[in-house]
Amino acid sequence: MKLDKNNLPDKNGFFGEYGGKFVPETLMYALEELETTYEKLKNNNEFKEQFYKDLSEFVGRPSPLYFAERLTKHYGTGSIWLKREDLNHTGAHKINNTIGQILLAKYMGKKRIIAETGAGQHGVATATVAARLGLECHIYMGSEDVQRQSLNVYRIKLLGAQVHSVDSGSATLKDALNEALRDWVTNVDDTYYIIGSVTGPHPYPMIVRDFNSVVGEELISQSKELFNSMPDAIVACVGGGSNAMGAFYPFIKFNETRLIGVEAGGEGVETGEHAAPLNDGTPGVLHGSLSYLMQDDSGQVKGTKSVSAGLDYPGVGPEHSWLKDSGRAEYVAVSDDAALKAFHEVSELEGIIPALETAHAFAYLDTLMKEFDKNSNIIVNVSGRGDKDINTVANIDGIKI
Amino acid sequence: MNRLTNTLEDLKNKSKKALVAYLVAGDPDIETTLELMTVLVESGVDIIEIGVPFTDPIAEGPIIQKAHDRALKNNVSLKSIFEMVDKFRENDDDTPLVLMGYLNTFIFNKALIEDNKNNVIDSVLVVDIPGELKLKDYGVYNPNINTISLISPTTKKDRIESIAKNSSGFVYYVTLRGVTGASNLDVNEISSNIEEIKKHASVPTLAGFGIKSAEDAQLLSQCSDGVIIGSSIVQMIEESSQSKEFDRIRTYITDIKNAIS
Repeated sequence: MKLDKNNLPDKNGFFGEYGGKFVPETLMYALEELETTYEKLKNNNEFKEQFYKDLSEFVGRPSPLYFAERLTKHYGTGSIWLKREDLNHTGAHKINNTIGQILLAKYMGKKRIIAETGAGQHGVATATVAARLGLECHIYMGSEDVQRQSLNVYRIKLLGAQVHSVDSGSATLKDALNEALRDWVTNVDDTYYIIGSVTGPHPYPMIVRDFNSVVGEELISQSKELFNSMPDAIVACVGGGSNAMGAFYPFIKFNETRLIGVEAGGEGVETGEHAAPLNDGTPGVLHGSLSYLMQDDSGQVKGTKSVSAGLDYPGVGPEHSWLKDSGRAEYVAVSDDAALKAFHEVSELEGIIPALETAHAFAYLDTLMKEFDKNSNIIVNVSGRGDKDINTVANIDGIKI
Repeated sequence: MNRLTNTLEDLKNKSKKALVAYLVAGDPDIETTLELMTVLVESGVDIIEIGVPFTDPIAEGPIIQKAHDRALKNNVSLKSIFEMVDKFRENDDDTPLVLMGYLNTFIFNKALIEDNKNNVIDSVLVVDIPGELKLKDYGVYNPNINTISLISPTTKKDRIESIAKNSSGFVYYVTLRGVTGASNLDVNEISSNIEEIKKHASVPTLAGFGIKSAEDAQLLSQCSDGVIIGSSIVQMIEESSQSKEFDRIRTYITDIKNAIS
């Protein structure tokens, strides 16, 4: 958690023109309270020790950087390395952020925890840390996602949290966020809202990035140790963008490393049926920050389409918008079909069933590996494991379980 | 001078409280909204707040959310709302009209606000922009349109001062922690906060969110310059959307008007 390396966001929460704090007035004091607490704690040794202790003993960090031998042979160009966030407790990178935020909640004396979730991984990670501290926990989830991620719904319930199915709007992640914000407006005095991605109003994009940056920090030392140089590229999927931001952030200053974010292309970016705002959106305000957004010709937020519930979101974290415009990171999109193909391929070649979200990052290797020679090192951030997606993929393949 | 400023001054001179009514443009359809606006004025409403539908209205409770959804199904946009207001102005050039909505819609359609042909709109109220920020800095500006800021029970004193000074038209005091249509009014807290706002604001302070009955309205009108009614009206509009019989709304508004007079 190196927190002061980069001076963004500015004091008003902006990354260039993106970010900010666009929320109903009732939440302004809660955001200020959170910001003050975080600024006070982020360099406090006791706080940092507790954070790293929990990551080590409860999550199982550091996660390995693993050489993907058969995948490397499959492409026959550079070496492919996998950052194994799928091996974390609860099965994804999401736990890094919730471990950090629950410490903030505890310090602030909040009694009640709320969170939104898409694929359910953030819901599970939140319910997990809330259970550990014995705090009341409510998870908002779009009713469509409740259907397609039923395994995670049950996991959340087993962990003692309540799942609230959200029917409004498109009944996916964006609507879960709306409902969580409404809960927070109503119960702001005693409730801590653990946002699950680098989205939302300031200071969330900064806090979530910082806690997830443990991934990028580990990558710096693991790269030196395993191949004695900085990687040539890091590839990560981007929905809201927290796993990508955590991996990218410590590398922003190393210009020799290409940073590549892969968005959900759904049925193809050209069809308009996708969830790729950085590829096919325009700046707009949703859920408290200004960032690239999928919107129609009258400024309404467009519905999204992706086989992956965790990427099915019309917005994206403001720092990604800044990285895109500044040219420091590249953002591409792959279709549902390409992601599903990669899902099967990686399972069979590496013995790792990736999350459908992660499968998007793998799918882009088809294009990317042609740009590299044998001496290069490419890292794929394996943001999560695919157990939660087995039903979805089986359905698509016409198999009844 | 701006119709909103005029009306509020006029009421103040007569020692009267303002009654503001909210409805969502295009719920159930644009023609009915136009008809309802006239019904509201005839029943004693001083100012109309026109809800601009948005896909993600995070400050709204279920009643108003559903109204936004119904309006969006009819493809209502800020452009069609301006066309509706043009028609309204053919017969009513006095009632102040406030557009209430979310920042993204206004940024996206800033040209419409800048244009505001024939000055049909008097004010804009954006729910999700902090009161110390200026809409002008986001390109949403028209010298003849004033901007209303919100202050809530959780606003700290130092911010109350800067927001109150920044607000034109009136200050909108959000009476509760929650979304529109909730029901947890704390009258003591409300009156002491409004007292604080009035120390700093040069414009009137009106109270809204969670006011349902004539009793609520009467109680809150004692400590404010007026009240804003939203969810109850929107609910009645939904219930009458088939029959198009709006007598219940007339009676409801008349009762509230009497209660605050």
